[in-house]
Amino acid sequence: MQEDSLTAVDTLTQAYSDNWSGAPGAEEAGAFIQFMSSNELIYVVLGVSLIIWLVLLFFLFRVDKKVSKLEEQIQSSKDA
Amino acid sequence: MKPWKYVVAGWMTLVIAGGFLIEIPDIPILEQTARNIFFHVPMWMTMFVLFLISFWYSIKYLNEPEIEFDMKASSAATVGVAFGVCGLLTGSLWARFTWGSWWTFAEPKMNLAALALMIYVAYFMLRSAFDDEQKRAKLAAVYNIFAVTTIPFLLYVVPRQLTSLHPGADGNPAFSEITADELRYILYPAFIGFIALGYWIYDVVHRYKKVQFEIDNS
Repeated sequence: MQEDSLTAVDTLTQAYSDNWSGAPGAEEAGAFIQFMSSNELIYVVLGVSLIIWLVLLFFLFRVDKKVSKLEEQIQSSKDA
Repeated sequence: MKPWKYVVAGWMTLVIAGGFLIEIPDIPILEQTARNIFFHVPMWMTMFVLFLISFWYSIKYLNEPEIEFDMKASSAATVGVAFGVCGLLTGSLWARFTWGSWWTFAEPKMNLAALALMIYVAYFMLRSAFDDEQKRAKLAAVYNIFAVTTIPFLLYVVPRQLTSLHPGADGNPAFSEITADELRYILYPAFIGFIALGYWIYDVVHRYKKVQFEIDNS
């Protein structure tokens, strides 16, 4: 817990150094992995944000289309 | 699906990507969180626009008691509150790492923004108190006009008279003086994109309410 302080307490390497390997061999890996590993991993955050955004967007598209369908049904039952 | 919605989808994807990718100046304390301006501030702008739409339809309803205007007013207020909640939560997270605390009780803009949202929560409580549609619509419209008039005072007039940690308050330079030009290339498109996105969500919510209404009354 680091509630009150922003000083970096390195609990991570101690606890996970055996299990977390980071991005080993990124230098030899493909262009995508190299890119994602650069700039202190900020592109990973961008990727996460874009995934959330695109999933929500997909959901919004779907709901919009479903409402359109219901509108059409109501319209056609009115016309009939 | 209207074509402009595809434009908004693409536009917002570019804004999000741009917000992460552009080079920003090195600002002490803020550091990379300066990018939050692209996402936190548009939440409030979108909330204002949606509340204005809500206000507009409340006036229209009082002028001409058409139930559709009431549906539009309540839909816009709902989406506006959702954006306001996003604004509060993102602001709180940002504050923890720049101002040093999740919530600063001496910070007028923060507290008054929470108060503004509570005024809108009261709007929904008022709505839920009536079974009669006409009565609900009329009283909600009157209350909504009161609610929207508090917004400029709570979020602009009062905070600027008091010392505040937000930029643009007493003793702090305003946005125009301290914000680097590079940030604007994303910030202004983000305003447009988020407002359009808010309008889109409002459009879906409103159409859902209308469909529901027609089903209930058929």
